Amino acid sequence: MTVADANVREEVNTAVKKMVVAESRLSIDPATVGDTEPLNGEVLRVTSVGFLSMLIRLEDELGVTLPDDLFAGRSFHTVADLVDVVAPTCTGRAAG
Amino acid sequence: MIETIVLNARRAADAAPAVRDPAYPLFAAAVGKRLVERWDEVLAANEADLRAARDAGLSPAMVERMGLAGAHLEALAELTRQVQEDLPAVTAPGPEVRGVGRSRARLVARPLGVLLMVYESRPMVTLDSAVLAVCTGNAVLLRGGSECRGCNAVLADVIASALRDAGLPEHLAQVLLDTDRAGLRELMKRDDAIDVLLPRGGSGLVSYCRTASRIPVIAGGAGVNHLYAHSSADADEAVRLVLDSKLPDPAGCTALEMLLLDEGLADDFFAALTARLDEPDVRGLVLRTPAEVAERLPAELTRVLEVRELAGNDDGREFLDTTLGVRLVSDVDEAVRHVRRHGTGHTEGVAARSAEVVERFTAQVDAAAVVVNGSLRLHDGPTMGAGPEIAISTGRLHVRGPVGLAALLTRSWVVDGGGTVRFRRDGAEGEDR
Repeated sequence: MTVADANVREEVNTAVKKMVVAESRLSIDPATVGDTEPLNGEVLRVTSVGFLSMLIRLEDELGVTLPDDLFAGRSFHTVADLVDVVAPTCTGRAAG
Repeated sequence: MIETIVLNARRAADAAPAVRDPAYPLFAAAVGKRLVERWDEVLAANEADLRAARDAGLSPAMVERMGLAGAHLEALAELTRQVQEDLPAVTAPGPEVRGVGRSRARLVARPLGVLLMVYESRPMVTLDSAVLAVCTGNAVLLRGGSECRGCNAVLADVIASALRDAGLPEHLAQVLLDTDRAGLRELMKRDDAIDVLLPRGGSGLVSYCRTASRIPVIAGGAGVNHLYAHSSADADEAVRLVLDSKLPDPAGCTALEMLLLDEGLADDFFAALTARLDEPDVRGLVLRTPAEVAERLPAELTRVLEVRELAGNDDGREFLDTTLGVRLVSDVDEAVRHVRRHGTGHTEGVAARSAEVVERFTAQVDAAAVVVNGSLRLHDGPTMGAGPEIAISTGRLHVRGPVGLAALLTRSWVVDGGGTVRFRRDGAEGEDR
């Protein structure tokens, strides 16, 4: 992984954590959420992935346009699973 | 494209007849009639959308919300009937008040203006939003999700035909079939042209709209709802209220999340719940409770129901499934403190025979609805007898509770002066009395 890719992944990681905390209606610091935290577990409560609010929050945060079907046809269990899918759509763009 | 959409909406709003015009009930009736004519086509389009959604691997939660059935047609027929019945009273001018001199003033109903509704998955939102918004004289932009595009295209035709039938401006309701998220962002910035934003969806969408747009928002927030069962309550009645508040549609915004059980009622309540374990849906209930409460549960209850330990983050959480948090409290004051700290001001309930406890709870708890000795699911426009609604608002201004016809209107004063001046009379200063 290049330094640029690592920066992008870090940025996506932060954006995804902000998004899942907002979707779980929690008022905790997103930085306290671990990468392996289950999306629907003791802390987070993201029961379904792919709703408008998730995509639009990520786009706002990352300054990218994500495909509508980004989350379709996949299963997600942890925060890192989401980061794995979002990060490749952001590489090639300078980390903000 | 966005410019054309908002310009057309503003022009339609300006050209629309005043509220109380007979065109509005005609529109409601025409939507019902046109929908019946096109229902087979609507169902076929919905089926195609569902197939595409499943093929694309959309989440089951989203696919489940997309489906249409005959019950939706019946619900829409009832909505249009109720709207026609309610419109005269909802739009009636207020009583006249007397001012200085010969002046008289009264409040008259006016539309809010141009509304932007944002929603996804549920195609009938397109129609019920159009009916309530247009019948109150508003122009409305209906932005549904791309997953329902086929069905919404047919519903857009239904609405366009009904507007023509009623002689209303063609752009009074616009279904935005081609507005992507970039277009939506652009619309949400148009506080110069759009008067009210109404997100109809999950709490994620609502909180996004509240923070991302300067347009005033009318919306329901999350429903972290509690029911306090006091020791004076009938234990079995409390169980029935809890089960009805939790099990049907557990992801609904009026669902119960946390039962605050008075110490003095706890054992009788658990016994009454155990007696109902044979009811099929009860077996799906999941209890989350502190370890010391779990120890008090009857063995039969813990054998049949899943019981988990309550986590720190479970206070103030919307479970969105059949999970029910249970905490024991010592009295009404402790219950009120918990509700004030963790509630979201949506729907709170108390079960008690003690009038004093009911009075204290209703006086101290501030929510869009406080339900006394009833299911939290009574907080619903038609069920409460408050008429059709499109949401339950948790906002503190303009509308709180069911968002019905009256909430899509504002009121302004018409002052009939009868020639009265205030400051100058016959060239001299002073009120004309």
